[in-house]
Amino acid sequence: MTAFVTYMLMTLLGTVMPGAAEDATARTFWMPESASAQAPFVDHVFDFINVICYIFLVLITIILVYFAIRYRQKKNEVNFSGDGPVHSTPLELTWTMVPMLLVVAIFYLGMVGYLDLRRSPANAYEVSVTAQKWTWSFDHPEFAVNQGGEVYVPLGRPVEFLMTSADVLHSLFIPAFRVKQDVVPGRYSRLWFEPTKPGTYQLYCTEYCGRDHSKMLALVHVLPEDEFQAAMGKLATEYMDLPEHDLPTYALDRLYNRCSSCHSLDGNMVVGPSFKGLWERTTSGETAFTNGQKLSDLVGPGKEFETPEDYIRDSIVNPQHLIVQNYAGAMPSFQGQLKERQITALILMMKYLDRLVDENGNPIESPDLNELDAGDGSGSPAEEAGSETGTGQSKDNGE
Amino acid sequence: MSDMTTLTPDQPILVRDNYLTHSRGLLSWLLTLDHKRIGLMYLVSVLGAFFMGGVFALLVRTQLLTPEGTIMEQDQYNQAFTLHGAIMVFLVIIPSVPASLGNFILPIMLGAKDVAFPRLNLFSYYLWVIGAIFFVLALFTGGLDTGWTFYTPYSTDTNSAMGGVIPALTAVFILGFASIFTGMNFMVTIHRLRPPGMTWFRMPLFLWSIYATAVIQVLATPVLGITLLLLIIERAFGIGIFNPALGGDPVLYQHFFWFYSHPAVYIMILPAMGIISELISVHSHRHIFGYKFIAWSSVAIAVFSFLVWGHHMFTSGQSALVTVIFSAITFSVAIPSAVKVFNWLATMYKGHISWNTPMLYAMGFLFIFTIGGLTGLHLGTLATDVHLHDTYFVVAHFHYVMMGSALLAFIGGIHHWWPKMTGRMYNENAGRVAWFLVFVGFNVTFMSQFMLGSQGMPRRYATYEGLEQELFQFYHVISTMGSYVMAIGFLMTAVYLLLSLFNGRRAPTNPWGGRSLEWQCASPPPHDNFSEQPAVGDCYDFTVLEWSEKEQGYVWRSDVARPEPQSSEGGD
Repeated sequence: MTAFVTYMLMTLLGTVMPGAAEDATARTFWMPESASAQAPFVDHVFDFINVICYIFLVLITIILVYFAIRYRQKKNEVNFSGDGPVHSTPLELTWTMVPMLLVVAIFYLGMVGYLDLRRSPANAYEVSVTAQKWTWSFDHPEFAVNQGGEVYVPLGRPVEFLMTSADVLHSLFIPAFRVKQDVVPGRYSRLWFEPTKPGTYQLYCTEYCGRDHSKMLALVHVLPEDEFQAAMGKLATEYMDLPEHDLPTYALDRLYNRCSSCHSLDGNMVVGPSFKGLWERTTSGETAFTNGQKLSDLVGPGKEFETPEDYIRDSIVNPQHLIVQNYAGAMPSFQGQLKERQITALILMMKYLDRLVDENGNPIESPDLNELDAGDGSGSPAEEAGSETGTGQSKDNGE
Repeated sequence: MSDMTTLTPDQPILVRDNYLTHSRGLLSWLLTLDHKRIGLMYLVSVLGAFFMGGVFALLVRTQLLTPEGTIMEQDQYNQAFTLHGAIMVFLVIIPSVPASLGNFILPIMLGAKDVAFPRLNLFSYYLWVIGAIFFVLALFTGGLDTGWTFYTPYSTDTNSAMGGVIPALTAVFILGFASIFTGMNFMVTIHRLRPPGMTWFRMPLFLWSIYATAVIQVLATPVLGITLLLLIIERAFGIGIFNPALGGDPVLYQHFFWFYSHPAVYIMILPAMGIISELISVHSHRHIFGYKFIAWSSVAIAVFSFLVWGHHMFTSGQSALVTVIFSAITFSVAIPSAVKVFNWLATMYKGHISWNTPMLYAMGFLFIFTIGGLTGLHLGTLATDVHLHDTYFVVAHFHYVMMGSALLAFIGGIHHWWPKMTGRMYNENAGRVAWFLVFVGFNVTFMSQFMLGSQGMPRRYATYEGLEQELFQFYHVISTMGSYVMAIGFLMTAVYLLLSLFNGRRAPTNPWGGRSLEWQCASPPPHDNFSEQPAVGDCYDFTVLEWSEKEQGYVWRSDVARPEPQSSEGGD
């Protein structure tokens, strides 16, 4: 019995999660796994407030129930005696002053922790974050690498996110690190943390941003320094070294997660046109635009777009230029976020989509992509443009 | 005939002519200037809106049974939670206590014939109706998916938010005027129409809280009106105010919005606190403890409410200094709230507590409001708020305050004044059972959401697929089950209250043993409330009352002299 009561108390106080092994960073009844340098202090403040809450709640509930039973009126036929005081200044001052002192203490603790959350160390590893409906994009200036939907951060080093939004308000929240900051269009906001535990953690958008708000998620991978360096090195160059016939798979695995909230692979019309059959619609020229133009009038030698590939590239870097009929034109520009070779990879993915995924848009295992030129045989436009430098300084050959 | 409306021990209540039967026909209701009829029309309308908001709440809860969602697409869910919030805030809770119960009871508590401006009163009811119509219009002009907060630039960007934004903003704008007019009316009524002998500190505490509420309504609501007007201008004409793409500032909107909407929280909770002061003292048959502390704490809360709006924006990007200052001021609101709770508890000490439905709601309020208030500490504290902001912890916290406290106090108040309003007693046992269902259902629904939030579940999520979905689903399922229990409780309440209109026992003048003036006026009250100015005494001194078997209610004790009506003007 005593053991049970102790266990329940420890659970409520947040020291253990029922059934969890003893580990200071493990999930507790109240808090998720603790994986940043700031998390323990936040948790201590939370537990401190909890103790105060339990004391007051138990006290008030016991008094309430006791009075309700002890002074219950059995019948209506009672002459009310008017017992008990109707006023007591000392008592009332007591229950004014005691809570006041307690809240001053709580306020102070909260302020200390907060200032710590807001002041980032000077040597922090910086990541530029762009939020847009409904994806997260992470730029690593140090490595000239861009990640979408997931981000690698080094273990044991302060990391700072410099964040802005391409459209509406978003908010970046990583529960395991106890950090959150709104991402506001038209200004930069900062958030920092120091990961203390390797692993993968969920990142959420916590400011309502429209239709797929609840799908605007990302993963944070905390990697030990050497693994981090290796992973970033790989990300910086992997698509450079890939042979062309591996690019569609690369695009599907590594890039498509930025497109997936608006462009389906199974033909479903979501926010934007489905990628299924997109290449066919493009080459046939049937696509009509909101300004009344038709794609067939725009593509061809001497016209606005030399090749269908040029049109798709334009749709990625300058999506507001031409908007397909029946769509709202909600797409943000990916200019600068995607390297030319990555755009090439995406175009190839659209071209050979039916070899990559099945009817329902599920990836096919080991797709047959050895002969890419079975189709129209045209090369990829960006290759020819030769703008890929691999250092992130890619120029845009504006058309 | 002259004494018919004042409380005397022996006279049977023979009043046939009451406000319900005074005149007949639909027009006599639609064009009525009688505060009681307007209050009743408000009550019916607000409860209708409450039903709508409740249906949306159940849709939301049902959707969240599984991580991928059960019954709605993303867009539909976003509309469901938006409408749930907007209806509950603007159409239900804000007008609930002041406009319905307040309208009915306030003039009678003052011994007055009506409010100071009866025509304005009717006008404010019709503004409410027009506002409600615009809300319905929003549904048919493309829907509304901005959340009840209308945050910019989402709400002003015609590409993102749905088409119903402008009708919805118009609705809130109009409802704002309904609220301002009600507040003004009550302020003037309390200032000018108090009877001789009723000084400020002899007013029932319900009136103090309504007065404090009215001050907030009159001072804060215009800011909301102007803000929404600016929002409409931006959305309709593309003039940049809040949208950074047009050169505006989205955080400015948040400041404007919360400058109203934080005080609005107290527009919702203060009248509820007033009800609780009445319920606890009357049903404990015990003089309220620390009258002046409770009265002043209402005023203190009203004042502080204007200074804490920034605590909704701790993570919005406002400067650290501003954030720290807002946190400090926020904690000051905790004090008057705590004072009230302790005073209510002390009121029960050595009382004669009858466990009938209104008192059960009041005791439930004490428990729920304590939790709602205490969890405010986690959110006012900066370090922890960063983690908890915009998660289900916040959802749970404000439902404990807005729903469990404000709305359940309203339901408790309806039970308390039901005999007065309808002249019928409801089935007490049914009331107790329904209260139990609502109380348990409420706590199951929202207690689980505290854990859900502190574990990291963000609010306004139609789905929750991700690394944590198993744990989240565990709590979501519990929460949804609780909401079903609560819904059954509310349906049951609706049924027995409606049944009581047909077969309820006739209500005596004073069924509970209250001493404020409305319990000296027949149930239901006659058209003019009082045929002569009633005598004012200490409205919390219950020792002068005794139970009368014949009346099945409380009457003046035969061995105690009644106070003489005072002829002098009431002291200000």
